[in-house]
Amino acid sequence: MLRWGAGAAGSLAALPALTACGQTVGAARTTRQASTRRGQKVELVFWTWVPMQKTVDLWNRTHPDIQVEMQTIPASVQGGYQKMHSSLTAGNPPDVAQVEYHELPGFMLVNGLTDLSEYGADELRDSYVPWQWQQGVFNGRVYTVPQASGPMGLFHRRDLFAKWGIETPTTWAEFEDAARVVKARGNGARLCAFAPNQPTWFAAMCWQRSARWVRTEDDTWVVDMEDDLSREVADYWERMVRDDLVFVEPDMSSAWYKHVQTGKIAAWVGPQWGDALLRGNAPDTAGKWRVALLPQWEAGQKASANWGGSSTAILQGSRHPREALQFAHWINTDRRAVDLNISVGYGWPSAAGVFRGSALDKPDPFFGGQRYNDVFTASDRAIDTSWKWSPTTDADFAQLQDAFGAALAGDDSLAGALADGQQSTVDNLLAKGLKARSAR
Amino acid sequence: MSTTSNRTTTSAPGGRRSARPDRAAWGFLLPFVALFLFTFVLPLGYAVYQSLLTPVRSGPLGLGPATLGFAGLDNYTLALRQSAFLESFARVLLFGLVQIPVMLLLSTGLALALDTLSHRWAGIMRAAYFLPYGVPGVIASILWGFLYVPGVSPVVELLGKAGLAPDFLGYDNVLWSIANIVIWEFAGYNMLVIVAQLKAIPQELYEAARIDGASPWQTAIRIKLPLARPALVLTGVFSIIGTLQLFAEPLVIKPLTSTVTNSYTPNLSAYNEAFANNNIYLAAAESVLLALVASVLSFGFLSLVNRKERDAR
Repeated sequence: MLRWGAGAAGSLAALPALTACGQTVGAARTTRQASTRRGQKVELVFWTWVPMQKTVDLWNRTHPDIQVEMQTIPASVQGGYQKMHSSLTAGNPPDVAQVEYHELPGFMLVNGLTDLSEYGADELRDSYVPWQWQQGVFNGRVYTVPQASGPMGLFHRRDLFAKWGIETPTTWAEFEDAARVVKARGNGARLCAFAPNQPTWFAAMCWQRSARWVRTEDDTWVVDMEDDLSREVADYWERMVRDDLVFVEPDMSSAWYKHVQTGKIAAWVGPQWGDALLRGNAPDTAGKWRVALLPQWEAGQKASANWGGSSTAILQGSRHPREALQFAHWINTDRRAVDLNISVGYGWPSAAGVFRGSALDKPDPFFGGQRYNDVFTASDRAIDTSWKWSPTTDADFAQLQDAFGAALAGDDSLAGALADGQQSTVDNLLAKGLKARSAR
Repeated sequence: MSTTSNRTTTSAPGGRRSARPDRAAWGFLLPFVALFLFTFVLPLGYAVYQSLLTPVRSGPLGLGPATLGFAGLDNYTLALRQSAFLESFARVLLFGLVQIPVMLLLSTGLALALDTLSHRWAGIMRAAYFLPYGVPGVIASILWGFLYVPGVSPVVELLGKAGLAPDFLGYDNVLWSIANIVIWEFAGYNMLVIVAQLKAIPQELYEAARIDGASPWQTAIRIKLPLARPALVLTGVFSIIGTLQLFAEPLVIKPLTSTVTNSYTPNLSAYNEAFANNNIYLAAAESVLLALVASVLSFGFLSLVNRKERDAR
């Protein structure tokens, strides 16, 4: 018996030598610049879920030598990244793809991005907002060109607030008071909805409270989601839910849009790119909305948060990285391109100093003639940019989302869900072969 | 039964069988065997192989190059340590215990009713019951999803006016809302299998029953049901496998409610590990475990009903 065991262990130990020898994980093909003959047209493929076709058309008109084909993919984790990871593994990736900031460490983990420093990306640095640029820098090398971010603000219905006698809340305490007033006077309306399906939103709330969920110490990832600051945020929303001051429903879903359209929801703590969603899905509420800065935890503070943000990445395996980088830089900094991108709601530009005089810089009838982007300019400046993302964000947030769902069904509290999320994040990092530990 | 099989073995002329028919049989089987190997055995083997691997990382913060290493059974222990994955099995088993009997009862009832109906109506009704099967699962789930979401659904609104406030997507209800979709989709399909079996029953039996003065009820219970048994076993096995593979319905319902988790069913769990978490080695282990459970359950069910059949004889 013993002998058999030893033999089996021996043959099992020999397996790696037979099977996995030298095989690398991740991208099946590495980026290499193909040589092009003079006058030869270069063709690039670009994957994005933002409807940027007009911008791409403009590029194709002005750059006859480099033609870009835009292909629309499902947004983020609804299929987009699945597709990208499969294409990397299969060795047929697009040249350029839209990747959110919080996904970049995950792509780094599978060696899925092209080192752009090799192709002169460092010289482009000054064209961008520094913190957005830093999102794509790992170990001092540039891996992606930033596209846009999502500074947050408080979208609210001026008319409903006036009807119910609510001042625009400037602190979270006032926000809660406002929620109680809406519940009392609103005839079934609520101030806003808590969306258990949006861990990225919840992370933004903790970000504003100056919690930091992930940090690194030497070569170890340290996860800290149960800290006092995050707990405070969790307890706050716990109370809002338990006291029935908010709807509990997925945002950007049909039920939520229905509530927005019918004035049952009077506010949304949302990102700048949310303007396009309100405009597109509740056109009948035009003119009634306003934007204010995020409520603060302590009066007089000026902390803001970010939700979302994307970069234009050159995936590992492209044959035209030089041209792809040229395209990625142009699409995010050329004034006409930026204006076209703004018109389709791509977010808050990463290009430095393009706000003044751009399509963002004008009064908007949907927001009652408010120059609402002035608010987001201020919000953008107040974002603490030291926030870091873990390379397993997709899995972490999926599990956090499940934990929120279970907590709200009565099994647990939101703070308990955060503790679960912390544990599963550490597990996820370890499962990927990384060094990780809990902060407490 | 035993008499017929005796007859065939002894009836070969001269007591010796030529080798020729065997070779021909292999010729006919070859395309199937090739396809079977290529689309079933090969992927299965590849999944088992992948389930034994894991990435090994190096470099600062593990962001450097990674190679593939042998993991042994690590992925399996990891999968079995995840309570969400184990819960997903418990969930589909509970689902199957309720949904399969309800659906098969419904299918059998419909099949018996159709069998006694006049021909003209039977055709129309059969088509009507079968129609939901023609709607892809994803589309069906989207349609039902609209009927479940409060604020959008006319059903919820009507029931709300009647003083009921059903929460179809609530924590305790969503599993049965999904069961409802699956029953709607597959009751007609299973009914058709059972109807086909009923049609194969020789008419003489009915004649004999009529002469003996059996009522339609007695004919149904004493003759039709026992003879439709093979079809019921078949649909039972299909349903067990189908239940364990539950995927499209919860995936489509998921964006509508936070009560459907990322590992709501074993299949969904493996899918998310592979494509959202980009952890194909763990996903392979989960898939292999799912395949094991599915075969144990379906073969277990088959041997159970077969033993009963032997005992009855």
